[in-house]
Amino acid sequence: MTVESWIQVWYALPVLLRGLLVNLELLLGLLALGLVVGMAVALVEVYAPRPVAAAAVAYEWFFRGVPELVLLFLFYFGPDQFGVQISAFTAAVLALGFRSSAYQSQIFRGAIQAIPAGQMLAARSLGMGRLRAIWHVVLPQALRLSLAGWSNEFSSVLKDTTLAYGIGVVEVMRQARYLTARNFRLALPAFIAVAFLFLILTYLGNWTIGLVERRLRIPGLEVRR
Amino acid sequence: MRKRAWLWALVGIVLVGGVALGAEKFVVGCDIAWAPFEWVSPKGAYLGFDLDVMRMIAILEGYEIEIRDTAFDSIIPAVVAGKVDIGASGFTITAERAEVVDFSQAYWTSDQAVVVREGSGLNIVTALSGGAKVGAQRGTTGAGWVEDNLVGKGVNVTLVLYETYPEAVLDLLAGRLDAVVQDEAPSQQAVKEYAGQLVIAGIIKTYEEFGFLVAKGDPKRILPRINEGMAKLKASGAWDNLVAAYFGPSLDKIEAAWEACISILVEERDVVRYAQCLADRATQ
Repeated sequence: MTVESWIQVWYALPVLLRGLLVNLELLLGLLALGLVVGMAVALVEVYAPRPVAAAAVAYEWFFRGVPELVLLFLFYFGPDQFGVQISAFTAAVLALGFRSSAYQSQIFRGAIQAIPAGQMLAARSLGMGRLRAIWHVVLPQALRLSLAGWSNEFSSVLKDTTLAYGIGVVEVMRQARYLTARNFRLALPAFIAVAFLFLILTYLGNWTIGLVERRLRIPGLEVRR
Repeated sequence: MRKRAWLWALVGIVLVGGVALGAEKFVVGCDIAWAPFEWVSPKGAYLGFDLDVMRMIAILEGYEIEIRDTAFDSIIPAVVAGKVDIGASGFTITAERAEVVDFSQAYWTSDQAVVVREGSGLNIVTALSGGAKVGAQRGTTGAGWVEDNLVGKGVNVTLVLYETYPEAVLDLLAGRLDAVVQDEAPSQQAVKEYAGQLVIAGIIKTYEEFGFLVAKGDPKRILPRINEGMAKLKASGAWDNLVAAYFGPSLDKIEAAWEACISILVEERDVVRYAQCLADRATQ
């Protein structure tokens, strides 16, 4: 790791950042997908009749049980068997998004079940229907509780986006590989630079989530530290 | 008048759209980490012998290409699945591969080089026996050769496989390997980049031939056009210029030459003058 190799990595930083932008796009897509699907799965697991809840549990079992790289390959090569063309980027968002939804569903399920049953009973006794009670009473509290777990999931999937290079998405890891393939000496500095970029992103992301958590806090209801 | 302007605009859109739809586009799969056949310049450009040949043939044969970076051992599965139309990544023509894909005419002949650390005192025999650790890139014929002719025949070596060639070279430099087996041209390039640290202990004459590959049965009828394009390149002298430009000069020089000349290919679409320009500047 000579000074010269660090200078070369410094000059290649725009290339790395261009790759990092693709990671952020992946992250945004997969978190959004994971949030919507994960919330639905959690609600189904807690409130739906048993056969439907069992289907949700099976879904969650599949996406938590299959290795991420295998999921990526399944989503990338699978649809072609049925004549559906899918880009590597879309395949990565779907595979990582569904996987994240399985994990997020567990965060939300835990949070929903942490709300005392009396709250639901109280809401019902006031004349609210079940859906309205979930929407107005249970979820606002449960979502606040789930933010801590969710920040964990955020840090985890942020790094998972680098796996997309396995199916040919030209993201930051792939860009770092390009540098290395061009100049073997850059291997270590390039990957250290990638590590730093992710440390910065993780810090910024968790700081933002922490801020949201503090802003939304209801005295007496927060998770005690 | 106004109405007519709208009409012309509409005709224009339909015409442009029609041409855009009409121009065939083939996706070229390539593992872009194997100089000088394919690599990425520090400025992010995809260049290399395979890629320029693909670009030139596309111009001569009147189709568009999109170069898609794909891990080497995923290219053939991607071609089989129809995600990629052409595989152009220094593929050796082998009977095993020919069972699942079709090859163009051979465009390159290569042998395998055995690279060792300078001063290690290893020769081609000692580097490949006596408990030596030998590195190779996964899915390559170099890895296959070590597997078939050494490991399979009971020679005492350990084969270590890597995703890319540079990783194998780095492990050799770090002392975790005794030798790396890889095609001759990239090996020469690596030894040049690491002058004083690496040497080629010897060449294994495998007489391999490289070909471009497409899906079995060539459903899109691409191979005749690739073969015809190659013949045109060779007849015009552009082929020899391309070989002179890519095999010999340092990567820095090739990149500078490519940057100075590429507009002749992309904008003027002049294949012959491009190859001339590239060779002149790279070998200056």
